[in-house]
Amino acid sequence: MRGIAKSMLTTLSVFLRPPVTRDYPNVHKPLPERDRAFPLLLWDQDIDEPFCTGCHACERACPVECMTVLMKDNPNHTSVGGNSKRRKIIDKFWIDYARCMRCNICVEVCNFDAIAMNNTWSGHETSVHDRKDLVMDLQQLTSQSHRGGIKEWVPVLGQANES
Amino acid sequence: MPTGLLGLNPWLDGVVRLLLIVGLMTVVAMGLIYIERKVLGRFHARIGPQRTGPFGLLQSVADALKLIGKEDLRPRNADPWTFEFGPYMVFIPIFLGFVVQPFMAGFQVRVLELGLLYFVAVSSVSIVGWVMAGWGSDNRYAMIGGMRAAAQAISYELPFVLSLLAVSMLTGTLNINEIVMSQAGVPNIVWQPLAFIIFFIAALAELNRPPFDIPVGESEVVGGPFVEYSGIRWSMFFLGEYASLFIMSILISALFLGGYEWPFGTQLGVGFQLLLTVVKASVLIFLIIWVRASVPRLRIDQLMGYAWKILLPLSLAQILINGFVLVYDLPKIVLTVAGIGGVFALVWLTERAIRRPRSARASAIALSEAAS
Repeated sequence: MRGIAKSMLTTLSVFLRPPVTRDYPNVHKPLPERDRAFPLLLWDQDIDEPFCTGCHACERACPVECMTVLMKDNPNHTSVGGNSKRRKIIDKFWIDYARCMRCNICVEVCNFDAIAMNNTWSGHETSVHDRKDLVMDLQQLTSQSHRGGIKEWVPVLGQANES
Repeated sequence: MPTGLLGLNPWLDGVVRLLLIVGLMTVVAMGLIYIERKVLGRFHARIGPQRTGPFGLLQSVADALKLIGKEDLRPRNADPWTFEFGPYMVFIPIFLGFVVQPFMAGFQVRVLELGLLYFVAVSSVSIVGWVMAGWGSDNRYAMIGGMRAAAQAISYELPFVLSLLAVSMLTGTLNINEIVMSQAGVPNIVWQPLAFIIFFIAALAELNRPPFDIPVGESEVVGGPFVEYSGIRWSMFFLGEYASLFIMSILISALFLGGYEWPFGTQLGVGFQLLLTVVKASVLIFLIIWVRASVPRLRIDQLMGYAWKILLPLSLAQILINGFVLVYDLPKIVLTVAGIGGVFALVWLTERAIRRPRSARASAIALSEAAS
């Protein structure tokens, strides 16, 4: 009987507290800065082109081979009258998000800091109706950075990237 | 009422009243399902339904539409008549019980002189439906569930009826309206606290609500008699369950908490009476949901032992004391004191029953030792 009274009091105290449920799709919990969703390409806002030169380093390093990279001569290079110092630039880039296992190796191997892990909610909410829609092309990969929609994670000195 | 509602002829009047009851009960049951899910959610520190409509208000409507749209399956080996009429036998008695429910003065389907007797007689018929559903499904779980429902009915009906009898002894009538009227000054719970608690516990068993949801215990008999049902027939069981929850809380509030009469029901008019009924019923429904969220399910033998060995003797004692008080014209305060003493006895006996579970029989021990 005392047990019953105690359990009734327990449930009542829970009843009087606000629910712990988070109203997920409407309210997003803030993500940590080093959150690691899917990789995307960063945009060089000064010259208005991607950082990526299409060097294939990430493609070669990718353990699950989810990337496809094609390179081209940069039409905006200084030798042809442009203002960019990149001789080569990315032409086509696909990342299959269905395949990617978010290992961060592509970010580690990139010499130009051109690729980064998405640390916003748009990197997590990628549900689609067709698996093919998870293969992202260059426009989709760069658009978020182009918009300035991604916080770049600045590693604290001496803590990460021990290269 | 010979003339009938709105001055219609009796047959048309009957049809109108029937439609009113069915419509009201459906809406009330759907509302109760929503409220139960919301309140139970809060008891679990959850939110409950919230995506369908504003605050999830349309969740019950969506559920009802889905259940109506579902295929109505019948197992090949099921007994067709028993299987298909089981839900109706559960459902119809509950609706018949609605006839005598007092909401406001002069607002109920019928004022019956023997209303209490009628209610008790009608509400226990639904057990037949449970057993029919259990038998007709040709399923072991359903069968066990139906048998459990019958066993449970046998054990709780006696304290249920006897505690009602205690109330009607005190008021000297079986007419529910007159019982409500007689509580204008003081509600019956003051004179009959023990009968109120016994009736509440027995009503939980009658409604098959936790901790007495033994016939439908999901973890033991996977829904009991409901296991083979789907679609509209299953939803009729559900509708019946919530309709009877509503009816029972109205009845408890009428018999023990003063119904529409206490406090100041007559002086403040009909609207206030409806408010009183609704508030009292809501409190009781909240209490029932609260108990559901708190107390684990009893075993069938525990329920039967509790009903036969604790509730029944105490309700008999209550009747005896009522008789003494009425015959020898003792002051009514004796009833209150005795009732509170009875409540303490009930608490003590329950505590003892929990603390000292019945030890296993010697023959059972010998059997288990022989097996090992």
